[in-house]
Order: sequence, then C-alpha cells, then structure tokens
Amino acid sequence: MKISYNWIQEYLDFPLPPVADLVQTIGAQLGAVEDVIDLESVYKDVVIVKIVSCQPVADSDHLQVCLIDDGGAATAVERNEHGLVQVVCGAPNAREGLTVAWLPPGATVPSSVGKDPFVLGSRQLRGVMSNGMLASPQELAIGDSHDGILELDEQAPGTSFAVAYGLNDQIIDIENKMFTHRPDCFGILGVAREIAGILGHKFNEPDWFQTYHKQLDSPATSLPLTVRSDAPEAVPRFMAVALSGITIKPSSLQLQTYLSRVGIRPINNIVDATNYFMFLTGQPLHAYDYDKVAALSDADGAVLVARLAAPGEELTLLSGKTVTPRDGAVVIATDRQAIGLGGVMGGANTEVDANTKNIILECATFEMYGIRRTSMTHGLFSEAVTRFNKGQSPLQNDRVLLAAAQHICQHDGAMVASVVFDAVAPGLVIDRPTTNSVQLSLGFINARLGHSFTPDAVVSLLSNVGFIVQATADNTTELQIAVPFWRTDIALKEDIVEEVGRLYGFDKLPLELAVRHLSPAAKNPLLEFKTAIRTALLRSGANEVLTYSFVHGNLLAKVGQDERHAYRIKNALSPDLQYYRLSLTPSLLEKVNSNIRAGYNQFALFELGKTHSLGGPDSLTAEGVPVEDEKLALVVTADAKAAKQYEGAAYYQARTFLATLLTELQCNQAISLRPLADEPELNVYTSSYYAPGRAAAVYVAEAFVGAIGEYNEATRKSLKLPAFSAGFELDVVALQAVQATGSSYKPLPKYPKLEQDICLRVPTQVTHGQVMHVAYNSLAAFEDKHIAASVTPIDIFQRPEEPDFKQITIRISLASHDRTLTEAEVSKFMTDLADQAHQALQAERV
Amino acid sequence: MQYQNEQIAAAAEILKNRLPDLAVKSEILKAVELKALYDQLRLLPNDQKAAFGAEVNSLRQELSALVTDQAVAGTALPAIDITAPFDVNVAPERRPRLLPSEQGSLHPLMTELSTVLDIFYRMGFTAVESREIDDDFHMFGSLNFPENHPARDDYDTFMTEQTDAAGKSFIAPAHTSTMQHRVLKQHKQLLEQGEAIAAVIPGRVFRNEDLDARHEHTFYQLEGVYVSQGVHVGNLIATLKTFLQTYYGKTLEVKTQPFYFPFTEPSFEFALSCPFCDQAGCSVCSQAGWIELLGCGMIHPNVLREAGIDPEVYTGFAWGFGIERLVMMKYGIEDIRHFEAAKLDFLRQF
Repeated sequence: MKISYNWIQEYLDFPLPPVADLVQTIGAQLGAVEDVIDLESVYKDVVIVKIVSCQPVADSDHLQVCLIDDGGAATAVERNEHGLVQVVCGAPNAREGLTVAWLPPGATVPSSVGKDPFVLGSRQLRGVMSNGMLASPQELAIGDSHDGILELDEQAPGTSFAVAYGLNDQIIDIENKMFTHRPDCFGILGVAREIAGILGHKFNEPDWFQTYHKQLDSPATSLPLTVRSDAPEAVPRFMAVALSGITIKPSSLQLQTYLSRVGIRPINNIVDATNYFMFLTGQPLHAYDYDKVAALSDADGAVLVARLAAPGEELTLLSGKTVTPRDGAVVIATDRQAIGLGGVMGGANTEVDANTKNIILECATFEMYGIRRTSMTHGLFSEAVTRFNKGQSPLQNDRVLLAAAQHICQHDGAMVASVVFDAVAPGLVIDRPTTNSVQLSLGFINARLGHSFTPDAVVSLLSNVGFIVQATADNTTELQIAVPFWRTDIALKEDIVEEVGRLYGFDKLPLELAVRHLSPAAKNPLLEFKTAIRTALLRSGANEVLTYSFVHGNLLAKVGQDERHAYRIKNALSPDLQYYRLSLTPSLLEKVNSNIRAGYNQFALFELGKTHSLGGPDSLTAEGVPVEDEKLALVVTADAKAAKQYEGAAYYQARTFLATLLTELQCNQAISLRPLADEPELNVYTSSYYAPGRAAAVYVAEAFVGAIGEYNEATRKSLKLPAFSAGFELDVVALQAVQATGSSYKPLPKYPKLEQDICLRVPTQVTHGQVMHVAYNSLAAFEDKHIAASVTPIDIFQRPEEPDFKQITIRISLASHDRTLTEAEVSKFMTDLADQAHQALQAERV
Repeated sequence: MQYQNEQIAAAAEILKNRLPDLAVKSEILKAVELKALYDQLRLLPNDQKAAFGAEVNSLRQELSALVTDQAVAGTALPAIDITAPFDVNVAPERRPRLLPSEQGSLHPLMTELSTVLDIFYRMGFTAVESREIDDDFHMFGSLNFPENHPARDDYDTFMTEQTDAAGKSFIAPAHTSTMQHRVLKQHKQLLEQGEAIAAVIPGRVFRNEDLDARHEHTFYQLEGVYVSQGVHVGNLIATLKTFLQTYYGKTLEVKTQPFYFPFTEPSFEFALSCPFCDQAGCSVCSQAGWIELLGCGMIHPNVLREAGIDPEVYTGFAWGFGIERLVMMKYGIEDIRHFEAAKLDFLRQF
C-alpha cells in the first residue's frame, strides 16, 4: 500500500514529523515499511516555463526551436539578450504562449530515475543549440502519453513544478500483509487517521465522510435507470446513480499526480475520479457508460442488477479476457446479460470511452469471501479485489458514492440524472456511525498489556481514531466501546486490547519474564535419541545431510519404487517436488554421484527424516492424518580407486557402520540379520533398490528395525553409483523401543583372561551367524559361574578348490571373578563348543 | 565386428583389450585412439569421408554397447553371507572399516537447533517435533483462519492429491504453528494444576516458492507456545529478548512492529539490535543496525477456545522463527540452497 506524505498531510490539522521519523513511527505502530520513494528528488529540477516563440528548424519536418521564459530559475544556462532560453522541441503541440514543464540541462528525466538515469545537457540538434527539453507526460512519469508535451494551466514562469503539483513528496510503501484485517487502511483517509492516533492527535473526519447521506442535492431524473440487487447475501449494499452531460477528457493534472504518485496510471476524468476515491477511502467504485448499458437492456432506459451468475453465461472483461463466472460468483447485469464480474472487474462492453456522454456510477459492498473465491477461481486480481476481500464497510457506500458524484459534477460539468439507488440487504442498518460494540474492563486491558492505563488514557487513545468510549453507568473501569463503521475488523475484547497497545506503543510496555515452577522441563526422548544417533555416526566419520521431503517421480522410478504408494503434491511450482518420499535412501543415493564428481572418493552420508506412504488401514493416525515414519538412512560408498584398499563386498562396510551404531546406542541385544527376500515385515515398495542376496532385514531383540544392503544393478546404473556402495535404513522409533535401559558395564575380572581361537570347518551354506549363535549358547553356560566370557570373529577362509566348505575362526575369551581358570577347563569348553557345532551345523574342528 | 579399414581394425583391437582394465568403463569412449580416427576423418578427401566415417561411427557404437554391457555384467554379483561381519578370505587390514572420525560432520542446521533447544529447555520449555504432512484443520482451521480468508494467500502451501476425511487435501505445513492446537490440547491439564504450558516445536516447513539464494521451499522453523494465567505482552517480549541475549551471549535491544497473523492478537514482527556490529552497521543487518527475526503475538482467544482453554482466564503468547537465518548470519552463508544440497564441500566445513 503506497501512501503519499503530502496527501496524508492534507487530512491532518497538525504538521507531520519529518519523513524519517514518520517512517519509524509507522513501522513501530502501524506496519512494516517496505520502501520510501523520494519523489522530491525526482522532480526537484523540473521548472514551469512559458513558450515565448516557436520557429521551425530548417531541414526538419517537425522540429521547432522554442524560446522559453523560465523566470530566470535555471542557473548556468545560455540565455539570449532577453534572458530567454532556447530549446529544440519535436512535439506537435509546442506553440507560442503555452505553459509547459522544462527539464533544464543537468536535470534527470523523471521517467528514467531508478532505471537508466538520463541526464540532460545542452547540445546541437540539426545545428541548433538546445538546452534541456520540454517534457511529455510520459517523460514526467505522470502518464503514458508521449504524443506531445504536457500542457499546464497558465502560471508564473520559474515556479517549481514539484511544488505546484504536490510532487515534492515522499511515498511510503507499507506492506499490504499488515493490512489483511484493516480494510480502512487501504485508503489514505484510514492511514491518516491511524497516523494521527499514534502521534497522539484526534483525527478530524472530513464532513462528507462523517455523516450519512441519502440523496444528492436537486436530483434530476432525466435518464431512466433501474437498479436492484437480487443477491443481498453476496451484495449487502448496492448503490448507483446516473450522471449526464459528461465530456471525457484528461483529468486535472493535480488529480493525475495524486494517482501517479501511488502508482496508478491516469486514464480519463471519469476513471481517474473513481480511482481517486478508491485510493482515498479504500472503497472501490465503478463507472459504466450509461448508453451502452441502456443498449444492452430490454427495459426502457438502463437496468443494473446485482445477481448470482447464471450457469454457463459468458462475460468479456475490461482486461479482454472472457470468463464463465464460477457458480456463486456475483455478476452485475442488465435485464438481458451480464456486464461485469461484481467486485472483481468490469465488462468490456460497457466501458467508459472517449465518446461516453452519460455514466452510471456504482458503489457497492461485496461479501469478502465470495470475492476471494471468484478472484482465485478465475485468476483475476485487481485493486478492487485487494480491497473488497478485506471486508469493506457497507456503511461507507453512500458517503463515497455521493462524494465522487459531486466531484464529477463539480469538475467535469456533469449533472445528476437519476435518484440515488440504494439496495440494502435486509437487516443491515445503514443510518448510524458505529456498528459493533465491545464492553470490557480496564483490568482486562491492563492484564494483557502488563500495564496500568487509566480510564482517561484509554478513552483518549481510542477516541482519537473514532471509537466512542463511555464508562458504564456507575463504574469508571467498565468501558463501553462503540466501534466506528470502517473498523470491520473489531469484534472482540482482545481486538480492543491490541488497539490500545498499538496506539500507545508496544515497545513502551514494561518487560517482565513469567514466573515459573522449579520443576525441570522434560526433554523430548525421541529428539535426544536422534542426537545420540548423530553423535555416534559423526564419530564413525559419516556426514549428516538434509535433503528434500519431496522427490521427482523419476527418482522413484529409478529405484523401482511405485509412485502409487506415495502422497502426490498437486500444485508444486517445481517438477522436482512431485511426491512425498517413501524412504530416505533414494534421496541419499541421488547425492552420491555429485559428491564423487566433486572429488570425494570415499564417504558416508546419513540423514534423519520422516517418510510417508499410502497404504492400508494403519496409514492414518487417530487424528486422520498420515502416519509419519521416523527414519535413519546411511549410504557408504567409495569410487573405484578408493575401493581398491578394500577386499570383499561393500555390504560389510555398511554392516560395520550398523554394528558400531547399534552398540553405541545400546540397541545391540541379539542383533540378527535375515535374508531380505523372506522378510514379511518389510514394505516391499520401500526396499525395491536392494540387491538380491546382498541385503538383509535387521532385527534387534526380535523386533524388525530396518534393512541393510547393497543396491541392485538398475539402481546403481540409473543413479551412477560406484560399484562399492551399500547402506541401511532404520526405523528410529522401532530402534528406540529396543534400546537397553541400564548399564552395559561389566566389572573387570580380578583373574587373568584366557583366550583361545577355535576354527570350525562348516559347509558353505552354514552362515557365520549360525556359528556365532552356537558359540553364544555355549557361553551362556558360564553366566551364573562368575565368569566373564566373550566371543570375537577372527577369520573366514575358503579354499578355491573346496567351494563346498569354509573355515570360520572365532576367538573365545574367558576370565573368572573368583579364581584362575585352568587350561583344562578352557579346553573342555572348546571341546563342548566343537561338539555342539558339530551336532547343530555338521562342523568339524580344524 | 570386422572393420575393412586397417587403421580402424587396429584401433578396435587395442581399445577392446584395454576395456577390462578400466575402472570407469566409459573412459574408453574418450580414448586418444578413437579421437585420432575422428581427427583423421576431417582431413580425408571428400570421396573417402563417407566410408571411413561410417566405420569409425560403428566402432564408437560397438564400444559404447560394450561399456553398457560390462557395467551391467560387472554388477551381477553372487549372494553373500549377510550374517558375517566380513567377507571370505579377506585379511583383517583389507576389511572395510569405519571412516576416520575427523571426516565426520553434523549438519549445521541440526547443530544450531540443538543449541537453541538447549536454551529453551533451560528456560523451562519442553519440545515436540512438528509434522511434515497435516490437514487443513491443524494448518488453518484451528488457528482462526476462516475458510477462504485472504490471510491464507500469504501461505503458499503444497497440497496433496489425497484428501482427508473432510475431502480436503493434506497440506505440507507452511509453519510449525500447525502443531499449536495439539500442544495446547495435550497440555491443558497443566493449567488446571496451576502450571504453565511451555513448549517449543522445531520442524520442517514448506512454502511453494521458486528457489533462489534467499528463498527455499523447505526450511526449518522453531515455534514456541506459552500459556498461563496473567500472561501479557511484556512477558512475550521479555522471553524472546532473554532467549536472544542468551543465544548471542550479549545485551541486546529489541523492538516490535505490528503485524497481522490470524492466530495471534496482537501480532508482531520482532527485531533485535544487530549482535554482529552492535548497531554500528554491517553486512549482516544491511547497515540497518536491526535484524527482523521472528513473528510473534498473543495467542488469539479463538485458538485457545478451540483447544478448550478459556481465554478469559488464561492468556498466552506464541512465536516462530527460521533456523536457516540464524545459521546464515552466524557463519556468513551466502546461499540458503546450500543447506539441502548435500554437498560435502559445504557440510565438511561444520
């Protein structure tokens, strides 16, 4: 919302502070200021001059050499003996006696400021000296016209153009977002009122805005007009009046500059008048060409009806776009056809144009949510939509309509040609200055602001901006507050608290921390667990990454995931964000190749994040929102060169990371790795990328916690993964559930530790896990005998010539808390172990 | 394939023999021998160009097919013993191991979040993580955003094709306030016990925006909620000021700017004096001396009421700020897109 310092000042009876101070006050007490545009510096050099003579330039068909009188305003410019300055001008309307705007040498063309500044000089044109230039409306950034120079009313040469037309101004751009609930602040009047209030002054409403108006003086009825609303719920108030005897022309330069200052292009006297009043009050107006409306009406004269759109009807808008208004949209229509999309945009076929003689001026209120829906449905955004969808007050319709009509009659010679029609929704009371009423106690305000305002202070703050505040009959601290009609945002006691705080200044309120109980705040166990995971993986040399929660459908396809299981984003601006990801691993795999190319030949990436998938009855929570799975994924990889330091499968590197992590987290009770293919609990669609035979389901304490493995050929190929790549993805919540509580500490044995290796020759299909299982079972025999026992894998050996067998070596370590163990005891244990292995696994001790 | 041209046939043999030795098979397509043939093609008389060119192209195609075949063939690996801690016949020093711990790194956003959470824990706040997919009720309805309210336009939300029980799209939350209703409802019994609801809510939020150096569609926010009896605006400002002074370890000035959020009344944008230059003016604060950091306000009575809390008896405040901003200012990070790009060049600096 752009506001003009000078325009605001016109409505205040005290001088505004300097712009820098004002901006600070607005920022602290009204809303964020996005920008301040110094118009004064743009227009400071422009001088009003009179063309004293005009002569054609030899060898040119259009250039004229003008002598101008600048009242001696410009310094350092070449003058003739009469003190006149010579300017060459190509405008067809340059003529003797004209008062115009001159940009002297050294001035910057206003329309070029902030773009590619063009500074004028003195130079020869066709051999004739030209000093500066005579400016067109376009060059002055006032309008679009570049057909000729701007013609001004006669006034003293040498006058500053900026001063004469109020362009010695500062434009303050306040963030629109701040005014989402403040329809009144979309007008100069509303902002001026707020500024008065926050500066501690009473705002004096202009007379025409203060009182309810029923009719214009001496209404004539020379133009037959029928106006009614058939949709009172969507159009609480619908007003219109016909004006005759219009001559379409540019509006006064003064009015044009009001509009150009706040960024609106002047068009003609009628459209400019409607825009002027919209920017002044926040209330949009629309002007129709009366004769065009009449021609489209079946009844005698013109008919203007507000109604809901009929199914399938079409309408061509001012913008040239043809729409079929949504079901429930308001259209403005004659008794034959729609001629405008109510509150959003007028129609093309009733537009005011150069030949317009009579107009209908409409001022209405539209229900704000309906306006927003229509605007969103059709993608139509206009200054009117911006204002109507904030909820303008219907009580201002009469005030604004009549002020605008009077303005047009006064300035453009128009005559009132009908009564003022006023279609008011049943139940809407229009003849009153206030609407809502709020009753609250001073204590309610003071408790919420942490202050001790007196009744007088509150009364003064609120009445400065139009609230009518009264103490209730017998109690000065119970306040009855009548809300002025333009404040459609105020209904609750808390709304009044905000007004008082803001008008007083929130930053002036005393600061005080809340007092609290000494009970310690509980830490979030899941967050703590995730922190433990991060710390463990950091120590393992892995790098934490964060990647997007959304993925492209291509990524799902590359890793073989079925997009039908994924929540699909229907409105993403970027095609990279089509689906909620089903698992984290693909996002990590996608980042492997780019890091290899960046020169990292060996690394592990991990991420903690949430995944979502569509599926059975358990896919929604009790609240009815999708279940979120907390996941940890890790990918470890090495390019061909770095992988040369290793022998064996990459799987075992991922397994090393996994084992270390599970130990660190105390999630290492009975870790069991089972073939992925047999895994009933694993979502097949999230694990589609693992390589068959080289991946496993991970169980801890008999609970499924995730999967580990290398990636299949298709995945490796499509994501350009090095051959040496593997990783795991675990369910963090499942993992947390199997975390051991208590200490894993084992007291140190007092007696020497005995270690012995045992090598077992087993058939190739016997797994290492089976051998370890037998070993653990044997060791369990020592549990109650005060003996600390452990088993460590040492080696797996296979002779190339004996592919059906392998030899597994493990190291058994035993130490007693009571006594020194004997060799015999240890040997006995080894023999027992070998026997059990033989029975269970057909193992032979080597 | 047999090549008529002797030079091409010779090159084909050399290149095919070399292929098995290459770590990156596609390198063969960049071999000097192949390039030399193409160079030669350009110098040939026009009448010989067609035949020679066709053969060179055939060779390139053959090599290209071999590269693909070998890449695939090389990956069809046998099953392994998944229960084993290491592979068969591998000496201990050749077994894959953990990476050097000095190579490890934590994501700076997560590290900063921990720092921030720690301060709030000490101030008496509990923490709960935000959701990444939610419904219209929690994102808007419970937060006093009426249906079709223009305030919804300020949140460019991602929506899913799939819908909730009410037939509305699920939403990727655009703010962590999506958890506010849940937190208020879950903890309201604390109020009856005379204690306060004090919680912070970190989480990932989403805005459907185009990316640039300053805009991400995915970022992290930390929401805070405090409700008790007699809570006022001065408490809100004091709490945030105390947090920021603790976080930056110095005395700061703070100021508010009125703002509009449907779920707070009044609402503010909150700014602190620049801790990096003490208001002397620097690049972090764009020479302004102030940094606008967060949005906050007193919780709207409708939000409290929706959670079953009587706004006549209890009042509270809420705030939200972005974690990226804190980290970018702290380290002078120039581009917000670095955070989710998973570049080791970036990550290993932290």
